[in-house]
Amino acid sequence: MNACVAPLPMERLIEYWFDEVAHAQDSLIEEHLFVCAACSARSQQLAAISAGIKQVVAAGDFGAIVTGPFVTRLKQAGLRVREYRVPPGGSVLCTIAPQDDLVVGRLRASLGGIGRLDLVIHDAADGALARLEDVPFNAEAGEVIFAPGASYLRTLDTLTQCLELVAVAEADERVIGKYTFNHHRYAG
Amino acid sequence: MESAAADEAVLARRIMAVAPGRDRDAEGELYRRLAPRVRLYGLKHLRDAAAAADLAQDVLVMTLQRLRSGEIREPDRVVSFVLGASRQMVIDRRRGETRRQRILATFAADLPPSEVSGDRYTLDSARLRRCLEVLPQRERTIVLLSFYDERSAADVASEVGLSAANVRVVRHRSIERLRSCLGWSDDDSEGVQ
Repeated sequence: MNACVAPLPMERLIEYWFDEVAHAQDSLIEEHLFVCAACSARSQQLAAISAGIKQVVAAGDFGAIVTGPFVTRLKQAGLRVREYRVPPGGSVLCTIAPQDDLVVGRLRASLGGIGRLDLVIHDAADGALARLEDVPFNAEAGEVIFAPGASYLRTLDTLTQCLELVAVAEADERVIGKYTFNHHRYAG
Repeated sequence: MESAAADEAVLARRIMAVAPGRDRDAEGELYRRLAPRVRLYGLKHLRDAAAAADLAQDVLVMTLQRLRSGEIREPDRVVSFVLGASRQMVIDRRRGETRRQRILATFAADLPPSEVSGDRYTLDSARLRRCLEVLPQRERTIVLLSFYDERSAADVASEVGLSAANVRVVRHRSIERLRSCLGWSDDDSEGVQ
């Protein structure tokens, strides 16, 4: 491969991929990508990551904190989303049906004035604990939406998990909500 | 002209020089070099892998045919011709499938057979999944909204309560983490498989 005489920064290639550059700049980048194998190949990596993430998510292999508008868009696109809305201190019986594409837990909480928020997950059976640090949230929405991977949920039989939202400040931590999910295998 | 484009011009001249005969090695090499770039252009503008693969096939079939027939008068500008054809075909594709069907009906047999099939730019889903699992939560969310949901930095920012500039920084950092985890670098970018 020939060396690139003026390699484009990765930031610019990313902005190009997401249609975030002005039209005139867009054309210049395209012209460069057609004559530069190195920059074209880096852009192809972005394309491969994009396609790969779509595959992983579609297979239900990706768990994440998501947003309310994202869940709405999935439902508008025809995906079947099972939702559990849980207030602080609440518990819920939950499952995943064969036809479900996604299950989300909507953890209601008062999030005003919080800088960093962690989600702590306790497994009631074996005490296993996971801590998701600095989860994204929109304080105005008043909730954190947790979407475990659907393929993981399908492997579960009966399981109780306790989730805690923890506000983290420099000097201390404060639990702002506890939520209990009693999962059972779908019985039809 | 950049050196890569100069190499492609050499290949274009070789193809033109033997017409109406065929220099299959030159055709295959020109296809190998340019098809991924056309496909990338198609992915960017059509957001569909199958449509992008079709675009690459259509543009390169037409380019090879035009080189053989002497219709491309400036072989030094073959890359510009391919970019122009890609732009036009994306416009046409948005208008309908008519032109594509006509091109394939005319030139389908002219495609170098060894280059038609196969997708160089897929990756191991299990490996990508492992790479995604180790991303910090904020990055996972931003990656999901950006790549799966195809949201701009401004859109993502409004949903996660960050500034667009901050989302761009986090998005860039997460992409670099994924590239590193996948074993990709700027120097071995031909290794995308």
